[in-house]
Amino acid sequence: MLVLKNKATNSLLRSEKKSLLRFLTLYVAMVIFMLIMLALFYYQGQEKLMFAQQRITLTKYADIQTKKLKELHHYFDEKVDYPRDTRFKSAIYDIEYVPIFSLLENTPERFDTEMYITQNKKQIHFVKTLDEYYLGTKYLIIEISDDSVWRSHIWKNIIVYGFMLFFLFILFGLYLAKLFLKPMRDSILLLDRFIKDTTHELNTPLSAILANIEMMDTSVMVEKNKKKLNRINIAAKTVSTLYKDLTYLTLEQEKKNQDSDVCIKELIENRVEYFDILAKSKKITFILNLEESTLFIDKRKLLRVVDNLLSNAIKYNNRGGEIRIVLKKHILAVSDTGIGIDEEDIPFMFDRYMRFNQSEGGFGVGLSIVKKIIDEYNIKIEVESTKGKGTKMVLKW
Amino acid sequence: MVKKLVVFLVLTLELFSDDIYTRNCIECHKYLPTTLQQMFKEYLQTYSGEENVKAGLKHYLKYPSKSISVMSKLFIDSYGIKKRSHLSDKELDDAIKIYWEKFKVFGKLK
Repeated sequence: MLVLKNKATNSLLRSEKKSLLRFLTLYVAMVIFMLIMLALFYYQGQEKLMFAQQRITLTKYADIQTKKLKELHHYFDEKVDYPRDTRFKSAIYDIEYVPIFSLLENTPERFDTEMYITQNKKQIHFVKTLDEYYLGTKYLIIEISDDSVWRSHIWKNIIVYGFMLFFLFILFGLYLAKLFLKPMRDSILLLDRFIKDTTHELNTPLSAILANIEMMDTSVMVEKNKKKLNRINIAAKTVSTLYKDLTYLTLEQEKKNQDSDVCIKELIENRVEYFDILAKSKKITFILNLEESTLFIDKRKLLRVVDNLLSNAIKYNNRGGEIRIVLKKHILAVSDTGIGIDEEDIPFMFDRYMRFNQSEGGFGVGLSIVKKIIDEYNIKIEVESTKGKGTKMVLKW
Repeated sequence: MVKKLVVFLVLTLELFSDDIYTRNCIECHKYLPTTLQQMFKEYLQTYSGEENVKAGLKHYLKYPSKSISVMSKLFIDSYGIKKRSHLSDKELDDAIKIYWEKFKVFGKLK
């Protein structure tokens, strides 16, 4: 499916990000777990290999020492010198694990394992169980020092190959994530393409309707026709707002910014006047508390933000409700007395095509435009909403 | 008469001044060609630990038999096995303890 891409669709939606983050977290955790298990098996394998190599030597030492013990046993107590060897250290323990004599640097930790590395990782112990208990010896322990060269070699391999595998798996994970998200992304791109084409066709008729409404002389009209014209005006302005959003989304946002100091108070007053006819159709009252405030911003973009906030406040307000607009030096708050939304839906309300109320018209693009613009200008937005009581949107800069 | 009485008393005192091990073990073993030290090593070689040796020895003293003797077949065939001890458990334990302390390897190796 061939669809055109634009800046808007290249960025990830919040829901997409959340899915991606969940998938990647799970995937990375699994990869790390798998790599740890692999490293563990590899380490144990190498340790066994080292033991196998040492076993031959240690068995030989143990046999030598056993022969010497046998001799000592027969000549005890004329001879009481414990046999020593420069190649290894040894100890003898009886069947009750009581030391009979020991030259070891480390106390034996286990008697049921043939070979093990001591806890301080400095010695290897080899345990030989004697069949004949010379001098009462059941366990003969042979100790040699562990040079740890093999261990450094193993760690080096684990770290190098571990990181290589980790990055390989991460690349594979990203590829998988992209594959999973592709159907979702394709649907959005298709919708974008459709809207772009539709918007283009709306331009001429909408401009003609709005221009002609403005040009009409209402003073000569009868009251009945005035009402009809008013309804046409409301409908046309609703479509116009939607049209402007869609145009912005598909075409204008890619244009270069023309930032300037914009008087927000004046802009809000103009837009309130513009939307007044819509508000009156639902008997909604505007309550304004505006102080002087300017913002260095592209006026077209600020217009989209204000229009969308006001349009939503009207659209989702109850009949006979209120819209309170408060403007201070660095704060703009728009609150309505409308239907509100659930708290858990708030993080998703800025996602494109996300609509929580199907009874009202629209494409669900307004707030995604607002978010995109305020993010661009580092303006913070706070949303407070109570289901059935209303919503308050606060912009801070 | 007085002289005879004195000699009798001296001998009696000497007899009871020895410990239970000396009175009951050495007395018989001194007539055997193998030393008690050698026999101790046989016990060590068979039973290894202190508790094991003591238990094995006590059992043999109470129930002597060819099958559980630590001595070689040649020795048994030549000298037979000992008679069953009539000492009490406590006396046996005391005698064995003295025997263990006398010949144990612990602390003797250098």
